[in-house]
Amino acid sequence: MSDATLPSRRLPFPAALRRWNIAVGALILTIVVAGALLAPWISPYDPFRMASGPRLSPPTAAHWFGTDELGRDLFSRVLLGARLSLGIGLAAVAAGLTFGVSFGLVIAFYPERVKGLLLRIVDVVYSFPDTLLALALVAFLGPGAENATLAIAISLIPFYARVTYGLAAVERAKPYVEAAQIAGTRATRIMRVQVLPNILQSLIVIGSIGFSSAILSAAGLSFLGLGVQPPSPEWGSILASGRNYIARAPWILIFPGLAICLTVLSFNLIGDGIRDLTDPKGRQRRI
Amino acid sequence: MLTFVARRLLTAAITILVVVFLAGVLIHLVPGDPITAMLAQSGNASAADIARLTGQYGLDKPVWQQTLLYVSNVLQGDLGTTIRGNEPVAPLLLGRLPNTIILAVAGLGTALALGIPMGVIAAVNRGRAADFAVMLIAILGVSIPGFWMGLTFIQFFSLHLGWFPVAGTSARNIVLPALTLGIVHSALVARMTRSALIDILNEDYIRTARARGLREREVLMVHAMRPAMISVVTVVGLVFAHLLGGQVITENVFSWNGIGRLAIQAMLQRDYPLVQGFMVIFATSIVLVTTALDLLYGLLDPRVRRR
Repeated sequence: MSDATLPSRRLPFPAALRRWNIAVGALILTIVVAGALLAPWISPYDPFRMASGPRLSPPTAAHWFGTDELGRDLFSRVLLGARLSLGIGLAAVAAGLTFGVSFGLVIAFYPERVKGLLLRIVDVVYSFPDTLLALALVAFLGPGAENATLAIAISLIPFYARVTYGLAAVERAKPYVEAAQIAGTRATRIMRVQVLPNILQSLIVIGSIGFSSAILSAAGLSFLGLGVQPPSPEWGSILASGRNYIARAPWILIFPGLAICLTVLSFNLIGDGIRDLTDPKGRQRRI
Repeated sequence: MLTFVARRLLTAAITILVVVFLAGVLIHLVPGDPITAMLAQSGNASAADIARLTGQYGLDKPVWQQTLLYVSNVLQGDLGTTIRGNEPVAPLLLGRLPNTIILAVAGLGTALALGIPMGVIAAVNRGRAADFAVMLIAILGVSIPGFWMGLTFIQFFSLHLGWFPVAGTSARNIVLPALTLGIVHSALVARMTRSALIDILNEDYIRTARARGLREREVLMVHAMRPAMISVVTVVGLVFAHLLGGQVITENVFSWNGIGRLAIQAMLQRDYPLVQGFMVIFATSIVLVTTALDLLYGLLDPRVRRR
């Protein structure tokens, strides 16, 4: 395939919203983000105050999601949980993306021999599931929100590095990079000024994929007691404390779980939709 | 073929070595003095305990020597002893390995049994309602946290309907955790089967088979499914690795007595030798399985060997 037949990677914004998966994903995400941002103003109760209502009360008009074992309002807790989950996700993805993309770019510009070795190392780490990597790191760093975020960020690096390397290697082989090299431009400058802007759009897609896995990992770690610690209402940690009451109060289980599912689903839908739009193979198949 | 096998085995050996090395290095991430941190957790630390552990880890030596000591110990089959109870780590973990393998195989079997038919249905009905439904289920599947699905299953099937025991490690108990792992991971299998089969159904030889007047079922089962399954074998390794990752949490949800449950207990109790041992044994299992599947793939598809 010559360069001329490659479809443009640019995404027309309104057209993107016409795809059902992007539209639905964006809608869910908007609601979750709005809930997270407005949590302090729209929470009907203080999420930490015990005995806001009766203990283990099922959903009522006063407590939309019911109350937990200490009488705390579950709706307020799930709302604040959105803040924690999205915050951890954002921090982990930002850090993971920064380091991963840097590694990927650097590897693409190394001489053949070093490249092979570095790539092998990335592949080795990448062959382990990210949840497991995060788990192993937290085991040594110790439990807590900051350490969990750090561990998740590190666990995302191999994925981002691998994908960035793939994208950068393609760009590197193009004539404009060669021209810049002949003109004597330093490799770091070529990476930053020429290659990075050209792969940025694809990086946004993998950013959204990382988000869903970061949120799942954060919830999993908190559920195991290794992430966000109670009484902070991270969704995973609400589930961990609600676990003992699942027979009497299934609502403690249902609402935070649905919150995780919907948030992760929104990122997956958006990622899928953008991939459909940018994947030339997928496009050809539809014709 | 021989060079392919040799190269694959060498990579596996190097990977395992890297993991052992990492397990030896990572303990230095522990904030402060690891021995104090470990013993603080178990409470009754005596001077003798501190001396024993300091000697065991060579903590009076520089970091690189400690790491080398750990690596050489592991290579000789010595994973150290636990902080709690001073038990040898290796037999403790290996004793739990069968339970973990049984659940992993059951989970993988469920994932394939659900995912492959879903992928076939989607591919055959491409662009129609059935395809859309399957793909929707698949994307929901990757969005649901396994531990939450597990808790929901316990609530509904064990507590509400009373069909299964809530927790434990027996033949009856395996159904819910295997189903949880299977459903979550069937999504990837379904996607892979679908895209492999769609590619193959567009091939010329399929058109030829249809032109020869073969029935559609025969075309699908005999001509299309076989090569599609080869593609599926490639993702089985990936699915298996991810399944083992998810299994750590699932074992905890269902109180399944596998390595994952032991590992989380060790992490919460800061029993670092046990955590290191878990990393080594778990990672080695993943490497062995993915290597075996790679070799199988090379056996099935000669083109792979040349890469």
